[in-house]
Amino acid sequence: MARKILCVAEKPAIARAVATHLSGGAFQTHAIRGNQYVKNYEFDFNFGGAWGTCSVTMTSVVGHLTGLDFDRQYKGWMSCPPGSLFEAPVQETVDKDKLPIADNIRNQAKYSKALFIWTDCDREGEHIGSEVRNQAKAGNARIEVKRAKFSNTESAHVRRAALEPVNLDEYQASAVAARIELDLRIGAAFTRLQTLQLQTVVAALKEKVISYGKLSIMIDISKRINKLGSCQFPTLGFVVDRYLRVQNFKPETFWGIKVILSREGKKVNFLWKRVHLFDRAVVTMMLERCLLAKQARVTKVNQKPTSKWRPLPLTTVDLQMMGSRFLRLDSQTIMKVAEALYTKGFISYPRTETDQFDKGIDLKKLVEKQYPDSSWGQYARELIDGKFRTPRSGRHNDKAHPPIHPVSWVSPNQLNANEKKVYEFVVRRFLACCSDDAKGQSTEIEIQYGDEFFHTNGLIVLERNYLDVYVYDKWESSQQLPNFERGELFEPTEANIFDGKTTAPSYLTEPELIGLMDANGIGTDATMAEHIAKIKEREYVAINERGGGRSSVQEFIPTRLGVALVEGYDNVVEGLPNSVSLSKPFLRKEMELRMLEICSGTKTRQEVVQQSLDMYREVFIHTQRRINMLKAACRKYLVEETGS
Amino acid sequence: MTSPDQIAAQILSTTSLSVSQTWLNAFLSSSSTAQRNIPASALAKTAIFRLLASDIRESLSKHRSCVLPVDIHDPTVKERRLQGSIPVQVLDIEDIGTSLWSQIEAIERVERGEAIRGREIVRTIAVGEDAEALENNRANNNPANGAASASGNSGYGPHRLILQDAAGTMVMGVEMQRIDGIALEKLAIGAKLLLRNPSVARGMVLLSPGSVNLLGGKIEALNKRWREGRKARLLEKTAGVERE
Repeated sequence: MARKILCVAEKPAIARAVATHLSGGAFQTHAIRGNQYVKNYEFDFNFGGAWGTCSVTMTSVVGHLTGLDFDRQYKGWMSCPPGSLFEAPVQETVDKDKLPIADNIRNQAKYSKALFIWTDCDREGEHIGSEVRNQAKAGNARIEVKRAKFSNTESAHVRRAALEPVNLDEYQASAVAARIELDLRIGAAFTRLQTLQLQTVVAALKEKVISYGKLSIMIDISKRINKLGSCQFPTLGFVVDRYLRVQNFKPETFWGIKVILSREGKKVNFLWKRVHLFDRAVVTMMLERCLLAKQARVTKVNQKPTSKWRPLPLTTVDLQMMGSRFLRLDSQTIMKVAEALYTKGFISYPRTETDQFDKGIDLKKLVEKQYPDSSWGQYARELIDGKFRTPRSGRHNDKAHPPIHPVSWVSPNQLNANEKKVYEFVVRRFLACCSDDAKGQSTEIEIQYGDEFFHTNGLIVLERNYLDVYVYDKWESSQQLPNFERGELFEPTEANIFDGKTTAPSYLTEPELIGLMDANGIGTDATMAEHIAKIKEREYVAINERGGGRSSVQEFIPTRLGVALVEGYDNVVEGLPNSVSLSKPFLRKEMELRMLEICSGTKTRQEVVQQSLDMYREVFIHTQRRINMLKAACRKYLVEETGS
Repeated sequence: MTSPDQIAAQILSTTSLSVSQTWLNAFLSSSSTAQRNIPASALAKTAIFRLLASDIRESLSKHRSCVLPVDIHDPTVKERRLQGSIPVQVLDIEDIGTSLWSQIEAIERVERGEAIRGREIVRTIAVGEDAEALENNRANNNPANGAASASGNSGYGPHRLILQDAAGTMVMGVEMQRIDGIALEKLAIGAKLLLRNPSVARGMVLLSPGSVNLLGGKIEALNKRWREGRKARLLEKTAGVERE
């Protein structure tokens, strides 16, 4: 019997990295027919246990092997009423360009005793693993199937994963299959309905625009309406919601009282406990009562040690949020760069929800690996020499991957500019996690002046600790406060009214949008960046640069089309009890919660697909019935406003 | 049989309200003969219940000792103290610690059904340090604004009330210290308050737990109209850029 093991990774680069580690660099490379990226690497490896030393063929796929689509007779746009796509039969087939890869797996499986799956360890990877398994079984029905559990491509970690195979998680694979089917059916049904119906409006617009000599714009719009995803749409909803809040905003004047005391050559500003009020007469009366009292009394002198906490271990959402804030890269770029760093074995798997380190992980060893660095090597040394602290634990654990952390040190000149930024962030964040909190002394003075209360705060930073390496956080000492004693009376130097105006919220930024998606439970951390890129690509939103230079921020502003679609769908369900708009996160959120139920085994794929389709079908029927509202919104924003 | 005086005395002793003779007589004659045998205390309870739902201009005594001075809103008077207990009813309540706009947004959230459990939408999120600051030094964070509107509830005030006495004199009241029960959702229009030796400054009655006795109640018709028209009133006020 052949003692051969077939290993399949998710990407060619991972296949190569794993082959390198398992073979110690001694492997043979064979090209496969029909695909220039995928290679077969051959070498021997001792798996121990039942398998022992075997010859290994390590190969890969390139992401998903198969796609889901409707049967031929439903593919044409006019072939059936869009609503029937909720039930129309679907088929899973190998994508045309992936056929050579599938052939390769089937062929290799014929001569192999076992299939060892090395796809990334997350839901998507589990599903890709199941696709690989199906191909391998088609080539060799008796093949044994195992799966490697790994979260980075560092050598020792990979070798250990090779010795401790686990089983494929069928639940997770089913959850992905359910999501794929739902995305196909819901997306196709709404897209067809919307496009067929809005064509008339768009046609009207086309004529209008032609008369202004800008035909190209219109053709674009009809193309853009094309696709509607059940997750991108609520993402767009957030952008539009904020945009409308900015647009509708009305500034209002407020008034407040400020009290100033000059003492020991320092000027102390006391802030009003009420901050400010929106009634001038009331504020004036309150100030007068302060002045009548003449003297203020110190009611509180609170001196206490305070600390600024070191950050939590890094999750994907945090990497994307912090990254787009501090590194000036958009979330999709950050994820691409992080993935490259992971593939090269510099950082751990960048898709994780976990913000607590497992007790088993040797953090000190990871810190030591950073010694050679010229920027933070010294800091790493100091940690090991006594300043090391066990990281804080967050509340999330996806049970699949540790928080994102550096796996090995890499010299900066081996990285490109973006890789350098992201790697530096991951390392600094990790070292910060293993450091002590910053320590300081805070002073809070509260005074009563007439009927009103005021306070002032002072801060002295005593130990910077993690702040020395985590350059992204700021915590500065304030001006030193003069001495106050509880119960003492003093006459303030000044007490005045100030005024100001409320300001509109600002347009949504990328870190905020990621935060909102996360907080509202839509999009898994892995897919958020994709959804954001999609709504940009489809020109539902545009990017606007606020401010200039280093402090500039990118903001999302919806296009007319974006506003029209959200308003249209909101109007469609307006006044209907229990029916929520597609632009709101709830439907998607429920769907994603059900995915989790599949993963935990409490619901089957069929149940979830049926339940979710029922929810969306209801909205679909309303949309069909009240399609004129959608048309009206498009006419309002795309025809009337552009014309004038 | 219970005499009107007995009932009036009962009401006075439990609520400090001096009821009007005419109103009391009307109340007693409207209660059927079957109720005649009811003990005085129970009858007084019913009377108080009706009283709290009535318009005090019709139901309470207009005696000099229980109404506001007619020049109460004189803005030239820096400070004065009124003597005794003066019953008033609430005609309007506003939160002057929260901008009109955020109050409108809060109303709209409720209109869209987002106040229902499971239908809340998180609309703002603190990014980075702001979040950290909140987490780290919650105590130092003033809850005056922002936080209030997120929940869809009204803010923390202070509240500005329009109060009316039995003679129909109206005056503005300002909540100088937090008073339990004075909040947009809790205090109905037509609710009765008892002002006890309150201070008045620049024509505004200063309200504090020590100077206010909240009796409750409401005038159903006024309350309904006020609630239905609230958003429109707020919108109208924001139309002019400043509000004063």
